[in-house]
Amino acid sequence: MFTLKGNRLPAADVKNIIFFVRPRLELMDIIAENVLSEDRRGPTRDFHILFVPRRSLLCEQRLKDLGVLGSFIHREEYSLDLIPFDGDLLSMESEGAFKECYLEGDQTSLYHAAKGLMTLQALYGTIPQIFGKGECARQVANMMIRMKREFTGSQNSIFPVFDNLLLLDRNVDLLTPLATQLTYEGLIDEIYGIQNSYVKLPPEKFAPKKQGDGGKDLPTEAKKLQLNSAEELYAEIRDKNFNAVGSVLSKKAKIISAAFEERHNAKTVGEIKQFVSQLPHMQAARGSLANHTSIAELIKDVTTSEDFFDKLTVEQEFMSGIDTDKVNNYIEDCIAQKHSLIKVLRLVCLQSVCNSGLKQKVLDYYKREILQTYGYEHILTLHNLEKAGLLKPQTGGRNNYPTIRKTLRLWMDDVNEQNPTDISYVYSGYAPLSVRLAQLLSRPGWRSIEEVLRILPGPHFEERQPLPTGLQKKRQPGENRVTLIFFLGGVTFAEIAALRFLSQLEDGGTEYVIATTKLMNGTSWIEALMEKPF
Amino acid sequence: MPLASLLVSTSDGPWGSGLDRVSSSEDSLRNLSPLQWKSGPVVSLGWSAEEELLCVQEDGAVLVYGLHGDFRRHFSMGNEVLQNRVLDARIFHTEFGSGVAILTGAHRFTLSANVGDLKLRRMPEVPGLQSAPSCWTALCQDRVAHILLAVGPDLYLLDHAACSAVTPPGLAPGVSSFLQMAVSFTYRHLALFTDTGYIWMGTASLKEKLCEFNCNIRAPPKQMVWCSRPRSKERAVVVAWERRLMVVGDAPESIQFVLDEDSYLVPELDGVRIFSHSTHEFLHEVPAASEEIFKIASMAPGALLLEAQKEYEKESQKADEYLREIQELGQLTQAVQQCIEAAGHEHQPDMQKSLLRAASFGKCFLDRFPPDSFVHMCQDLRVLNAVRDYHIGIPLTYSQYKQLTIQVLLDRLVLRRLYPLAIQICEYLRLPEVQGVSRILAHWACYKVQQKDVSDEDVARAINQKLGDTPGVSYSDIAARAYGCGRTELAIKLLEYEPRSGEQVPLLLKMKRSKLALSKAIESGDTDLVFTVLLHLKNELNRGDFFMTLRNQPMALSLYRQFCKHQELETLKDLYNQDDNHQELGSFHIRASYAAEERIEGRVAALQTAADAFYKAKNEFAAKATEDQMRLLRLQRRLEDELGGQFLDLSLHDTVTTLILGGHNKRAEQLARDFRIPDKRLWWLKLTALADLEDWEELEKFSKSKKSPIGYLPFVEICMKQHNKYEAKKYASRVGPEQKVKALLLVGDVAQAADVAIEHRNEAELSLVLSHCTGATDGATADKIQRARAQAQKK
Repeated sequence: MFTLKGNRLPAADVKNIIFFVRPRLELMDIIAENVLSEDRRGPTRDFHILFVPRRSLLCEQRLKDLGVLGSFIHREEYSLDLIPFDGDLLSMESEGAFKECYLEGDQTSLYHAAKGLMTLQALYGTIPQIFGKGECARQVANMMIRMKREFTGSQNSIFPVFDNLLLLDRNVDLLTPLATQLTYEGLIDEIYGIQNSYVKLPPEKFAPKKQGDGGKDLPTEAKKLQLNSAEELYAEIRDKNFNAVGSVLSKKAKIISAAFEERHNAKTVGEIKQFVSQLPHMQAARGSLANHTSIAELIKDVTTSEDFFDKLTVEQEFMSGIDTDKVNNYIEDCIAQKHSLIKVLRLVCLQSVCNSGLKQKVLDYYKREILQTYGYEHILTLHNLEKAGLLKPQTGGRNNYPTIRKTLRLWMDDVNEQNPTDISYVYSGYAPLSVRLAQLLSRPGWRSIEEVLRILPGPHFEERQPLPTGLQKKRQPGENRVTLIFFLGGVTFAEIAALRFLSQLEDGGTEYVIATTKLMNGTSWIEALMEKPF
Repeated sequence: MPLASLLVSTSDGPWGSGLDRVSSSEDSLRNLSPLQWKSGPVVSLGWSAEEELLCVQEDGAVLVYGLHGDFRRHFSMGNEVLQNRVLDARIFHTEFGSGVAILTGAHRFTLSANVGDLKLRRMPEVPGLQSAPSCWTALCQDRVAHILLAVGPDLYLLDHAACSAVTPPGLAPGVSSFLQMAVSFTYRHLALFTDTGYIWMGTASLKEKLCEFNCNIRAPPKQMVWCSRPRSKERAVVVAWERRLMVVGDAPESIQFVLDEDSYLVPELDGVRIFSHSTHEFLHEVPAASEEIFKIASMAPGALLLEAQKEYEKESQKADEYLREIQELGQLTQAVQQCIEAAGHEHQPDMQKSLLRAASFGKCFLDRFPPDSFVHMCQDLRVLNAVRDYHIGIPLTYSQYKQLTIQVLLDRLVLRRLYPLAIQICEYLRLPEVQGVSRILAHWACYKVQQKDVSDEDVARAINQKLGDTPGVSYSDIAARAYGCGRTELAIKLLEYEPRSGEQVPLLLKMKRSKLALSKAIESGDTDLVFTVLLHLKNELNRGDFFMTLRNQPMALSLYRQFCKHQELETLKDLYNQDDNHQELGSFHIRASYAAEERIEGRVAALQTAADAFYKAKNEFAAKATEDQMRLLRLQRRLEDELGGQFLDLSLHDTVTTLILGGHNKRAEQLARDFRIPDKRLWWLKLTALADLEDWEELEKFSKSKKSPIGYLPFVEICMKQHNKYEAKKYASRVGPEQKVKALLLVGDVAQAADVAIEHRNEAELSLVLSHCTGATDGATADKIQRARAQAQKK
């Protein structure tokens, strides 16, 4: 298995070569290059191409134009739409989905999402109720209903696992991803970026401490760690507010060292044997604890810095509705000191969203500052952000955000970071809008917030998929409903944490399984919307 | 053409598929005959595996008719035949399909093993053959068709390479001619009838003799066929003369019947059918269960159970006696099974019922008798009785029905257009809709669209009314059939009901309804499908029309734009132009200024076009910004010429910084003024640049040029960043009171910071200072703060 690269294929003594690709045109060029630079004197090899998740006419056309289509013996598709990332998390990992849907009017990823949902229903039963908010959600629901009609006859008779499906457009809640996530996992992602559940960390903190000889140079290669709930400790702390992580780690440390101390109490051979049998598990726990202590230290270095504090203060001011209508000093200083453009854009967009758009004068000022400081080419990026609605002039002179904030209780002043009682803990005060919508849907229902729903973009709707009588669920009292929530355009780890928090609530009544087009954060999101013409 | 010479049989089904035609074939024949007479004399008739009637004419033409006498097609058995005429023909069945073999007037054989995929094979000449062979037949061995023929006392086997003489092993001497030969249903056995009245039975390979029989009748028989005996597996051949029917086999005795009328024999899977003008009989081996039960004075458990049930109905206590008798022998289960099985082989519903009643009666006394066999038998018999009805006329035996499977039976019903019965059967058997009702309805619809006398509207409505959203019905298949019949409009109407766009769209494209196809593709949301149509439309329409079509379909338009972005940039521009989308046009030219142009002039020109477009889009800001960019580009060019170094494509900010770093302060000032860089940012910029240069003197001068708009804390910070505490201290004193403590702490003056904080009486500041107090050196300061705190609290 090799990563796709231009030029000649790596030498290998094989007969068959299978390309496993997303149907993207630029990848076709690379494949064509691979095929064409194949050594003609060597043994002939058979090429096959597998498109994930679907074959594409355009790609095949491109291969044809490049004169290599005939070289492929098999052209097939591997319809992997939703990839499981965790027990309760599925992602399509389609980076371009948000841009394609909201900027370019390309629904391909929505079609794939609908297909993925059909597969899911084929495996876990028809989902009897579909709720949705947003233009894309509407389209996905339409496609699903259509596809269901296409499949009629192959009526599946599986007892439904999911009670509800909630389709949410990312552009219904543009705010949440812009804010800095404050859960443990969220911060790891904000600072180091989690890629396909792996994170690469600076190696210094992970150097084995015992070897005292400083002569040995520190490892230079980044430390790569896999992060998912299979790791007991990580499952426990990933969704906690970062401020609550330290105490858990120290408690764990005590428990583990106490467990190791047990060996002194082990007197009989039987006791020693029992102790030894637990050793692998304990050692794994100790390794895991060491890793996460190091990561927590790395993060703490960042979160205790003055700049992080200043940035967070500004974000929280915006989200609680303070001074959102004028040019912000901190943003100005960030631009003047040429902080990273993405950071600046995130803040400006956050201000714009929290003010239902900026006054023309303020907007133009920011834009001018950005263009002068970072270069005029960014006019294309700014244009994209405006098209996505992240950055916009206030129309009608009305700021709707306070209404939304109050009705949905997006800002909570009394946050308990250690033992949270509300989802707002994931942003230390701000309750993610998207998750609030999900929460209100399950109780008391969206009818109570009709007004706000009208303010938020796109239609909201409800569809029923009738079940044959034999499959209708009779709920036991106290049994939770299961809602599949699909974020069209991406979801952040903090939102996932908030949903997991809701699932765990004893009187919550709803468990959530999360699906999305892409696991993302504000930085990767803005980055995908940026355009660099050179 | 007399009815009796209609040869009826098929190979895939074990029964003469056309048998039911006996009642109605007169009709179909009456329809057919005039056609034939027009075409030429018919030598032979036969049914193909697909239930098509093959009529072999004397001139070698084979006309193919459907079950309903509808002409399907025709083919010829070769040009050579035209002169020589066809003397005789056989229709036979192989695993590939149905074949035709002919004997020409020149005594040559030609055959085609599969009329569906016509390949004529002319067989080699038989040496010395001067007259027609006394008898011949087509054989099928090892997947190859052969011809076996008899000339006088000799037998020849013809394959497509050679003609070889063969001798059946153990043939009785004295044979001077073969009068009849018969191949079994499975092609495994062969029977030969000689002029001595002797019958040889053996394998078709002629390698082994199975048995022989001498019937002492020298008259040539009219027909000889094999009679399969599935139960005993014994050999039996049925020979028919004018009025005599003889069954012969291994046994020394034969069984003889008298025929009242001219009859015709058809061999089948489990017996032989005998047709005459007025009767239709079936000769077969009595199944074991029936024999057990109905044998005279049989004491078999089944027979006793049947008797018990009869007595029970008469309310006689004998019922109990019989039942006990069976139970004592522990044979009740067997008895029930026998009754069920025997019922299956009965043709009279009354008899079936009484056997089933007996079984049901017996079942009551059994604890755990699995009900399946009984239930299935009842169902099977219901179906069988229904198709055996003379209106339907498919007199299947139970074994034949089982061999055939319900699916094939349904196919046959569909072929006879007996749709209602087929649907009733499906519903009765609760077959899954996709395999059952839907499939039949789809066939019905395909038949319906061929009714040319009904209007498109009516047909479409009728079909939709019947089919509705029945799962598994492919409207596109029906539409394709309609299109095949030249009814495009009907096809389009039908496609409206097709839920699967993947099926809908290609057919619409084929029918040249691209625009409709486009909207259907869009509805589906399948972008690849939309692209399929778009590329099709692009080739089909001229550019103007194509663009107009796109204009009415926003989703298709955006997809096409995506395509153009990758493949045809110029077209993208045209698209924006057409839509007067000046904003996007502006962005397009901005991109072009980077991608396409190398020279400054070219880039500026592209930017100018962009700016013009932005003006048209009423995006003043973008237009102005672009003009600024042009100005900056020109300036950078001039700077490069005059000062050397790299300026192009630096941002304005970086250009100014580079100038300061290069010591061109004047120029930097000028540029900042020209572009109206706000004061605050300019101060930050200069501060950073001068600190980078470590030009402390210039920095101090700059700090004193006027009151800093950004305060003096940044000065302190930046000096400390460059580790210049001395310079930092200079600015610390000038920092405003609000940030003073922070500044003092930065330069490490904890004591003074403490003083200021105490003076401010600011708790936050106090804690901040305290947190900076380290051990021994700042002990006194820490105490001081604690004291101040304590005092503050007292108050």
